[in-house]
Amino acid sequence: MQTKIKTIIALFILFVSASSCDNYLDLRPENGIVRDEFWKTKEDIQAAVIGIYSSMLNSPPDVSDLTLTEYLFMYGELRGDMLLAGPNVSEDQRDIMNANIIASNELTSWAAFYRTINYCNTVIDLAPAVRSEDPTLTQMQLNHFLSEALAIRGYLYFTLARTFKDVPLKLKATLTDQDNYQIPVSTQAEVFAQVIKDLKLADEYAVEDYGDNASNKGRITSYAINAMLADVYLWTESYQEAYDATKKVTDSGKFALIEASASTWYNSVFAVGNSSESIFEFQYTSSNLPPFYNIFLQRPQFRAGALVMEEVFGIDFDDPVNTKDIRGDRASLVGATGEIYKFTGLNNEERKALQDSDTHWFVYRYADVLLMQAEASARLQGQGQEGKGQEALDIIANLRLKRKALLQTEQNVSAGDPDGIIDYILAERARELAFEGKRWYDVLRVARANNYARLNLLIDLAVKTAPANQQQSIIAKLRDYNSHYLPINTYELYTNKALEQNPFYK
Amino acid sequence: MKRLLRLPSVWRLTLLFLIALVFQSCSEQKIKESTDETPNITEFIRANPDYSLFLEILDITNYASFMNTYGTYTMFLPTNEAVQEYMSDLGVNSLSQIPLDDLQALVKLHILEQKINTTEFTDGKLATPSMYGQYLITGAANNNNVSSTTVNKTANVVVSNIETGNGIIHVIDQVLRVATKTLAERIEADPNLSLFTEVLKATGWYEKLNQPITSDENNVSNFLTVLAQTNEVYNTTTWKNPANGQTITLNTIENLKLRYSKPIGNNPADPTNPADSLNLYVQYRIIPGLNYLADFATTPVFLTKAPLEVISSKLKGQDILLNEDVFNGVLEEGVGMIRTLSDETCSNGVLHYVDGNFSIKKRLPSPVYFDLCDQPEYANNTANYRKDGGLSFGFKKGDMADVIWTGSSSYTLDWNPYGTAANGDLCRVFRFRVGSGGLNDIEFTTPVIIKGRYKIWVSYCQNPRASTDTKVFFNGVQTSRLINQREYPNDPANLTSGLTDRVLESQGYKRYIFPYVHSSRLYSRLAGIVEVETTGRHKIKFVTTSCSGCGGGDADRWDVVEFRPVDMDQIWPKFRAGYKSQPGVSSGNDLNGDYLISREEADKGDNGNNGY
Repeated sequence: MQTKIKTIIALFILFVSASSCDNYLDLRPENGIVRDEFWKTKEDIQAAVIGIYSSMLNSPPDVSDLTLTEYLFMYGELRGDMLLAGPNVSEDQRDIMNANIIASNELTSWAAFYRTINYCNTVIDLAPAVRSEDPTLTQMQLNHFLSEALAIRGYLYFTLARTFKDVPLKLKATLTDQDNYQIPVSTQAEVFAQVIKDLKLADEYAVEDYGDNASNKGRITSYAINAMLADVYLWTESYQEAYDATKKVTDSGKFALIEASASTWYNSVFAVGNSSESIFEFQYTSSNLPPFYNIFLQRPQFRAGALVMEEVFGIDFDDPVNTKDIRGDRASLVGATGEIYKFTGLNNEERKALQDSDTHWFVYRYADVLLMQAEASARLQGQGQEGKGQEALDIIANLRLKRKALLQTEQNVSAGDPDGIIDYILAERARELAFEGKRWYDVLRVARANNYARLNLLIDLAVKTAPANQQQSIIAKLRDYNSHYLPINTYELYTNKALEQNPFYK
Repeated sequence: MKRLLRLPSVWRLTLLFLIALVFQSCSEQKIKESTDETPNITEFIRANPDYSLFLEILDITNYASFMNTYGTYTMFLPTNEAVQEYMSDLGVNSLSQIPLDDLQALVKLHILEQKINTTEFTDGKLATPSMYGQYLITGAANNNNVSSTTVNKTANVVVSNIETGNGIIHVIDQVLRVATKTLAERIEADPNLSLFTEVLKATGWYEKLNQPITSDENNVSNFLTVLAQTNEVYNTTTWKNPANGQTITLNTIENLKLRYSKPIGNNPADPTNPADSLNLYVQYRIIPGLNYLADFATTPVFLTKAPLEVISSKLKGQDILLNEDVFNGVLEEGVGMIRTLSDETCSNGVLHYVDGNFSIKKRLPSPVYFDLCDQPEYANNTANYRKDGGLSFGFKKGDMADVIWTGSSSYTLDWNPYGTAANGDLCRVFRFRVGSGGLNDIEFTTPVIIKGRYKIWVSYCQNPRASTDTKVFFNGVQTSRLINQREYPNDPANLTSGLTDRVLESQGYKRYIFPYVHSSRLYSRLAGIVEVETTGRHKIKFVTTSCSGCGGGDADRWDVVEFRPVDMDQIWPKFRAGYKSQPGVSSGNDLNGDYLISREEADKGDNGNNGY
């Protein structure tokens, strides 16, 4: 009996020890790919680059923050003067709209930005090594991929520096837990300098034509890079460089303003997208929907300001139905109800259905570049380059003609009055780029130029929008330049001890 | 041992269990009893040497243990430098030299019994008073391009929103001072207010403004808000005496008495008499309650101490203007408040400065024709509102600033074009009925109505399924008559039942559109007579209580609500149908183009029946 038991045990031990165990002890994930198996072929790089774009459309499934598009919209519009709180506005959104900003406000989380930045960093760090693995990958192709990653990283850092002022510059990929996360902030000027450096390199490597329209508008081209460069140069007050960058776009002959005919303009530029007016758009599709339908129509968090229709676009009271700025009623907004229409409409009459509401997010449009060119020209006129003022006015006049702008929004500015021209451009940008996440940045950029020579622009904006019982506090706060930027979120300060909070929010 | 082994197995097991128990360690197990380790306010202060002096004050006053108890408090915590500055102001070397009562009052002023984050700060007082009873005022100030939140104008918030277990702490760089001067003392102490002080003394108001705070049976304190005028303002105020045609400057008490104080009946002029105009002049500058600038920016009308006289207030750009109103289409310029000087807290109220002379405006009651479609939200819809071919549109509950209702939040209050109505439109309720399936009551804010006695006429469009018993409430008080919106207008052309306008009026009806067109459904009903007690905007509410037979299509529609002074003709002028597309242009009977038809303009009777 005893022997029998012993034999059985011995047999069992033998069986267990002899069977191969490398399978169930394997630590490699079964549903993913590890790094040393990736980064082998140019298709891998392509997949990683497309991954960067898709991370900007919607957040990965395991994170709970908002989409990058929503942050871009809110950072650009919440503090501007064209938005009102809708019935579904959150407390955090309302606080930013009322300049009641504290560091624990969840909207100040920059995680979505740094997530995509890390994807870019990964491509920039790891893609060059693929050349030795995959002989079919040419240096040219590699450069194209690098250009895309560099440009997107540059644009995101540019947006962070416009929003938070001083932010940590992380230019190396975070690959393991051993990497250093404790990075102090770099100043806004340093970030802008790095962005310019990245964008210039990206421009050297850039693609001019991918061969199909969707890629030309949905991926980084040399034109998108130059639009970004122009924008950064306007912020750093390098107006000649800004002007030159816009020229590269406008002289290419690849873009044109679409004639304002009946209702096709709205449909082709916004509802369909990727038009000849488009430079870079986030390519939402009906299988990867944007957040707009929800936040503007179904559970509206925002509405257009009460006076946007009348003060921004103007109303011809004699014939409001036929004589109108094509960018106003039923294009940017529904005048009667204040609904934001730009991202949910199909044409000037009907909205899209929920399942088809795939309107893109417009990062740069041709009209934006034209107005940046006008702004750079006006500034150059201010620096003594004669004739540039007239050039700026011509650009505005041409755009207004194409958009059927109303006579009552026309301003009579002399070509020798750069500040007057810039005010006109600001007003025109409000009309042209309404609700595209630009307004606050536009006003801030103009206000801060020449050492905040025109701070009053921000104060006027506060007088218009502030709640009556907080107006004076808000104005006093705006006189502190640090208050124009958002605080670093409390959570970031907690996890990264090297960060230093914006002094206004201490 | 052998015996032990021979024991039955049950016993052996029990023994084993007991041995195991003996060897069990008896040391006490540590159980975490609290769910939160955040220090309370006192613990937080104790842990930070920067605030040791305020801690000393808390210890002296015995508030230290109190601030460590459960609750939701806000503490404004002065730094050590702030307390030292306070001590040197008082000229003492140690905190124990300060009377205990003063220290207690001081501590109480720094504590609020509610948790208030800086996001809730406004330009005015905090919603909760300090434990001392005085309100703290907040704001923001900029020094050398650095802005910070301020408390009581001078103290800057250095560190804000420190969360503790029993509340929130804001660190401030100055000790907040208890306001000890009364309004009267504060006014007298300002040499720029010397004339105003004289006026107060001459009218007997100085003593009243010198009284400490008391509370009535409902625990409402009798704080006062005073609008003071500086000597400079008086120096620029002139008055032409109608008696002798001389123009004098109102910069002496004698001149002010000459201007305002008049004999009443057989009695000589006596400024201390509350009915005297100089006394009323002072009463008009005193508002019951604590009203800071932020309140003036948000509250449109204040009732003053002068009986039933109101001051209107509005924010225009950055300026707060008093009594800037539009009356009968004419803008009357207002008087600004001086922001830098105002918001002075006193022990029994708050003092403001205004930069112009103002006084009670004597106004006679005048008619107000309130077209219910005069709503800013409707007017924004420029494509439809009062346009040829305009289509109906509406707003849901909560979307209109001056109209509120209870009931359904999905049905709308519509602008409805109706060419033969006044202004060519009607205000339509989609489902005016009881219960959640409709709009139960609709309250409109009227334009400014001057105080006086008025008849209210409500005009409607007849509908066979409309409400039969609409109650009308003016400022919450029901008027004497119900409105049956199923009633057709009386047709004057009908030889048997037709009634003349005057007979109809005596029954409480009128045909308010001229000319009356056969089979018109527009009719006006006298809702009642009301006493409008204050000049300002008021509330009129329509309520329905039953819903008999109101199936689909019960569209109740109203046109104009007329407030006519009782001594005015209640029929004329009537309204001209249609939009005001060409104001000032003569058309038909409307000779002056004002879209009203006066009796003189109406050259013919209604549809041939000559009775008016």
